[in-house]
Amino acid sequence: MVLESEQERPVQVVFTGTRREMAGILLRGYALMLPTIGLYRFWVTSWKRRFYWSNTEIDGDPLDYTGHAMQLLIGFMLALIVFVPIYAVFFYLSTQSGEVAVTGYGIVAVVLWFLTGYAGYRARDFRLSRTLWRGIRFDQAGNAFGYAFRRFGWTILMLLTLGIVYPWMSSNLWRYRWNNTWYGDRQFNFTGRARALLGPYYLAYGVVVVVGSVGVLTSAGMGAFTPGGPSDPLSVIPGLVAALICGAFVLIYQSREMTRFWSQVHLGTANLAVTIRARSLIGQYLLFGLALFVAYVVLAIGGVVVLFTLANDAFAGEQFDMALFMSHLQGSAGVLIAVVVGYLLILAAFSFMHELFIGVGFWKLVARNATIGDVASLRSVRARGEDKTLAGEGLADALNVGAY
Amino acid sequence: MSVPARYQDGLVAQVIDVSLDYESVGSAGNLLLRDRETNAILTRWAAADIHPAYGRKGELRLSSITQNSGARIIVTGPAEIGQVRAMLPDLTTKQAMEFSKQVRIGVIATVALATVILAYLYGVPLLAARVVNYVPPDWERTMGDTVATQMEASLKETDNFAICDPDPNSVANAAIARFGAAALGTGSPFTLDIKVVRTDVANAFALPGGKVYFFSALLDRAESPDEFAGVLAHEIGHVVHRHAMEGLISSAGTGALVGFILGDMTGISIAAGLGSTMIDTHFSREAESQADAYAAEVASRMDFQPAGLADLLNRVAEDDDFSKALALFSTHPLTEDRRVHLQALTHETPAGLEPPFTAAEWTAIKTMCGSPLKAPPSKTKLGN
Ligand SMILES: [Zn+2]
Repeated sequence: MVLESEQERPVQVVFTGTRREMAGILLRGYALMLPTIGLYRFWVTSWKRRFYWSNTEIDGDPLDYTGHAMQLLIGFMLALIVFVPIYAVFFYLSTQSGEVAVTGYGIVAVVLWFLTGYAGYRARDFRLSRTLWRGIRFDQAGNAFGYAFRRFGWTILMLLTLGIVYPWMSSNLWRYRWNNTWYGDRQFNFTGRARALLGPYYLAYGVVVVVGSVGVLTSAGMGAFTPGGPSDPLSVIPGLVAALICGAFVLIYQSREMTRFWSQVHLGTANLAVTIRARSLIGQYLLFGLALFVAYVVLAIGGVVVLFTLANDAFAGEQFDMALFMSHLQGSAGVLIAVVVGYLLILAAFSFMHELFIGVGFWKLVARNATIGDVASLRSVRARGEDKTLAGEGLADALNVGAY
Repeated sequence: MSVPARYQDGLVAQVIDVSLDYESVGSAGNLLLRDRETNAILTRWAAADIHPAYGRKGELRLSSITQNSGARIIVTGPAEIGQVRAMLPDLTTKQAMEFSKQVRIGVIATVALATVILAYLYGVPLLAARVVNYVPPDWERTMGDTVATQMEASLKETDNFAICDPDPNSVANAAIARFGAAALGTGSPFTLDIKVVRTDVANAFALPGGKVYFFSALLDRAESPDEFAGVLAHEIGHVVHRHAMEGLISSAGTGALVGFILGDMTGISIAAGLGSTMIDTHFSREAESQADAYAAEVASRMDFQPAGLADLLNRVAEDDDFSKALALFSTHPLTEDRRVHLQALTHETPAGLEPPFTAAEWTAIKTMCGSPLKAPPSKTKLGN
């Protein structure tokens, strides 16, 4: 056939979801999390993934997420088995003094860092093996412990070299992840090189070191770090400005890393090409910051109104009567409930805005700027045996690693 | 009438345009899939095995329990979806069944979790009371030291805290130590370390490992040695029963539970705080009555009235400077029950017992933090 031999144009990835749909999923989810004592979060995660997957179209066909909430719930239960002894160690350490506690916390932190690598790899495996496209399953091979050790070793090198080796670590871990990723019977191949990151990385590194230390030193000079709070409120401004500049350069770097590395992911002769503009990424975070600010202002106003109605006599006099207010806090169940609800609302507002502006925003950004070359070559991919060994994401869920 | 759809067989990464038809086979039926280009029959799906899979808005995705797990029939468009639903009337019931299955799982899991939480809330204090007996006293002692260091450091920052009369051999300290040793008896692995400290808050408490703090603001309000001895004996009761350690163990346990509910085991510090406040009120009632009973037992060996404890707590409670009293009552809730109970524990003491403190010792104790008249004069109207 003549048409087949013709070189196809790269296919644009399409994302059809909207923030409004996601907001609906989240609001319904939060509402159901209350009566289910938080258990519904496993269903929310599954619904969120179905939304992301089913709205991501490649060459006209969407991804298909086949994971279930029960799998996540069971995985979480299994992870608790790991956490109970760690928690016991934590408790023991909290009762110890000085050096014992510091050394102990250090060891626990190291163990947790190692486990985070393990958990992240397992979670990626879980998600891939529950992702279908055109009826064919993705999968991840490799060894989660192997990955965790590798990441751990690189972390030590990072500490020893003060972060100089980051581009090599990054390319090495990307390679391990992608070279162990499969679509049906076809293996992915990652060809990214550390040298592609050297320029942007050391630029960001230099800016963070120089601007960061200038900002911190200026603030310190103006008395921002005196014990008992800053002496002059203006003194924190140089530090804040420096933090914003550093944050922007970190995001610029991240956009470069994703652009350059995702574009080196191949599946046979099909290859991914992603272009993420730094300004879009920064814009996303600015939007998130703004949304979060608005949400918290609204919550703060609501909180003051509620506390006023519950403890109005404390506000009744010329000035606010702290003692009376505190006695309300101790005595009234209403105020206790208001405090708990307030705490949950603050948590919910953060995760809501994060999902809408970082979660959906980022997914959209990547999908809309991704193209895939030679999609036609994927028609010959065949299914491989199924990976049913994974019971949920367990540890990853408990450790709170990984988005989506 | 056939319906256009797309079909993937779950074996090869291809999507084929098909047309769907329903064919009856006896009482059962099949969905017949034909290639739309060649009109060749591709496959048949038994209608009974077909289930709805998740699809986005405006899309119906079907899978079958007897086909490959990745096999799907995809129907788009409201008219087409309506036609397929008419062909497969069981689809709606299956969807409803799947939904009610999910609801059932959710309800069962929630009930199970609620049961665990209730068992936990009642079980943890009971368990903590058992577990505390296996905590090595040495460990409890080092822990008490840590807590004491942290607490003194934080008090120094706010309440112009100082230890009253640091000389352990002074008349006041020697008398307190003698009373403590007698009250403690021989049943405890700990030696007492009782400190009277200057702060503006009226309180007294026992830390793990035998450390007892008596705050000057409470001492200032004491009008008789009985009241002082009563509170001290009560705190020594907490030491003997190892209540401080018990409390720490149970709040650690509840912290883990709250961490589980919120789903973030790494955010344990906030969780532990919330958890301990939730459980403390329940826990402390029982601990308080145990400590009261201990104070009464001590009173039967020495010549003082344990009701003095209630008198002193009453006086602080009636104080109009309520905010300062709050600290005391959050750790020592004074309920009507408890007051009645304390009065009942006050019995006739056998004759010939030595009083806990001599008049000279009591004067020394009252003045050990400097002038006792520092207490606001307006509140002294409450003398019995
Ligand atoms: Zn007590």
